[in-house]
Amino acid sequence: MIHGEITPELVRQGLQRARYLTTPRVETVLYLALVLEKPLLIEGPAGAGKTEIGKVMAATLKTDLVRLQCYEGLDEAKALYEWNYQKQLLRVQADRAQDLSWDEVTQHIFSREYLLERPLLRAVTTGHKVVLLIDEVDKADEEFEAFLLEVLSEFQVSIPEIGTIRAQHRPAVVLTSNRAREISEALKRRCLYLYLDFPGLDIEREIIRLKIPELGERLRDQVARFVNGLRKLDLRKAPSIAETLDWARALRALGIKELDVAAVRQTLNLVLKHEEDLRKAESKLSTMLATSTR
Amino acid sequence: MKDRLLSFVDGLREAGLGITVAEALDAMHVVGVTGVELEAFREGLAAALVKDEADRPAFDAVFERFFAAPGRGRGRGERPRLSDEGQGRGSRRAQSAPAFSEQRRHKEEPTPPRPAQFGTERRKREHGEERGRKLARVRALLNLPFEQMSPPDVEACEALMAELAQRFRAHLSRRRCASRRGTVDIRRTLRRSISTGGVPIDPAFRHRRPGQPDLVAFCDLSHSVATASKFLLALLTPASAYFRRVRLFGYVDRAVEVSVEAGMVVPHDQLDLYARSDFGKVLVGFCQVFGPLLTRNTLVLILGDARNNRRPPRADLLGRIRGAVRQVIWLNPESAVRWNTGDSAMAVYQRHCDAVLAASNVRELYAALQRVFRAAVR
Repeated sequence: MIHGEITPELVRQGLQRARYLTTPRVETVLYLALVLEKPLLIEGPAGAGKTEIGKVMAATLKTDLVRLQCYEGLDEAKALYEWNYQKQLLRVQADRAQDLSWDEVTQHIFSREYLLERPLLRAVTTGHKVVLLIDEVDKADEEFEAFLLEVLSEFQVSIPEIGTIRAQHRPAVVLTSNRAREISEALKRRCLYLYLDFPGLDIEREIIRLKIPELGERLRDQVARFVNGLRKLDLRKAPSIAETLDWARALRALGIKELDVAAVRQTLNLVLKHEEDLRKAESKLSTMLATSTR
Repeated sequence: MKDRLLSFVDGLREAGLGITVAEALDAMHVVGVTGVELEAFREGLAAALVKDEADRPAFDAVFERFFAAPGRGRGRGERPRLSDEGQGRGSRRAQSAPAFSEQRRHKEEPTPPRPAQFGTERRKREHGEERGRKLARVRALLNLPFEQMSPPDVEACEALMAELAQRFRAHLSRRRCASRRGTVDIRRTLRRSISTGGVPIDPAFRHRRPGQPDLVAFCDLSHSVATASKFLLALLTPASAYFRRVRLFGYVDRAVEVSVEAGMVVPHDQLDLYARSDFGKVLVGFCQVFGPLLTRNTLVLILGDARNNRRPPRADLLGRIRGAVRQVIWLNPESAVRWNTGDSAMAVYQRHCDAVLAASNVRELYAALQRVFRAAVR
């Protein structure tokens, strides 16, 4: 874990070390979120690297990442804490043999030992500053969002049987959303906001260089241009950065030195995973290749 | 600086961004950290004040007006490369490259903003603006009242509808694989404990069993609300797998079954779209022919403006239907202020509905559906 002041330089180095290439905009906002200790809400298309930011933030602060994956029907028992029924029942059985009084038994079974910590509670109880990543918060129900609001503003959790647990170190919080539904205004107000889009041609080229240094320069450039062209088409699902990298790796494995119609046809299903997207792209293949292999 | 920021926030509010006092305070904190180096300043303020990318173009416009006077700062940066050579600009860029760190020390001084990035940065911003505008357009479409939609708007909305329908289906399917709840099922736990000599080692939890209701939907196809009906049908049709039986009816002065084929609403029988709408008559006809369709498990969804052209509303029949089914939900595509004005018989029908929800634009329609089915499929 990092002690001392957080500087923009530190954030930049952290990003570099994590090999996460990005724009000055993202650097600035990340830095602000850390310094002001505000939750950061990241929206953007799938596959632009939203979740990755949480991981990179943990790496930058050299601390642990606590991840809460949201889904519909997620409730407090799965997000905050749950009593370990099995263990409690066993305890009750054991205590019965020893003839303990009612008070003693309840004291036993409602202690930290019988508590199953879920991500939110873990982020609060950990002895040092952690990064709490609340992934795809738009998938959770509105009720859960309201509950989240409470936790995020106070960073304290009250458990009726034990009392209130307050965080000694405020976790750095990153929330991501795919805009499956609108996040409530109240939650937005409490967060800094970042819209994370695909990074653009130059940076994507650099990302490929960083992750697959063996790839030839010419092919790298062509892949980046081609994928950028694909994203401009009106597709059901635009290729993500990870898919671009998969594709580049595949092209290298196949020993392809330069993009041509045959090579693209053969491997396009690595970046486009919907039948209609594939058809749309194939109909424009030659013009797209012409612009990207200039 | 504080005054300048406050008037900037006011400028944003005038431009239509809802900014709370807390957010304005955040902006102050942000500036305290970033200093006034232009790019960091801009992005910092945006992070604190813009909570929807669709608002970003408006933010940028106001920002230009307040903090980048032409001839200073960004004004010069806008001419990429032209004045870049031979003027020692290179060294200047190097100066501002370490961004906000050095600026922090003398943040109190109102230093004029300096141009930070050229060329690519500028291009990127334009790309960003385009995206922001697109999002703003989508948002405007979602909030556009049905009656104000022009044909191109309807067309643009139809494209959105496919995505919404997919989302809606995903919503229903997620509902179905509901998580187990945290409560212990005492009866089953005790029964299980018999195998361990009465010691309840393995507790059983309550499960949620999602229901699978029948759906009967009535959509007014007369001109005034046809757009809303079309969108409702477009959302319901792909979701039919999540109901046991789905019957979709279109009506004007009588109800006929409809289906959606290639984005068009196709009635299965003759229907005079230019007749005067009369829901009372629709109810009479429906009860005679389709009465047996309604069961305790049926969810009746009615979309219409309840404008009966002053004919008898026959709300008693709706009451009888409600007695037979699980729920009657009315979606009204008019804005709530216009209900019960003129020939609208909304109040008369409302007494026999479990809920009347406003659905005057796509966003409301979608939200209403989510609310209805959240309760029904649970």
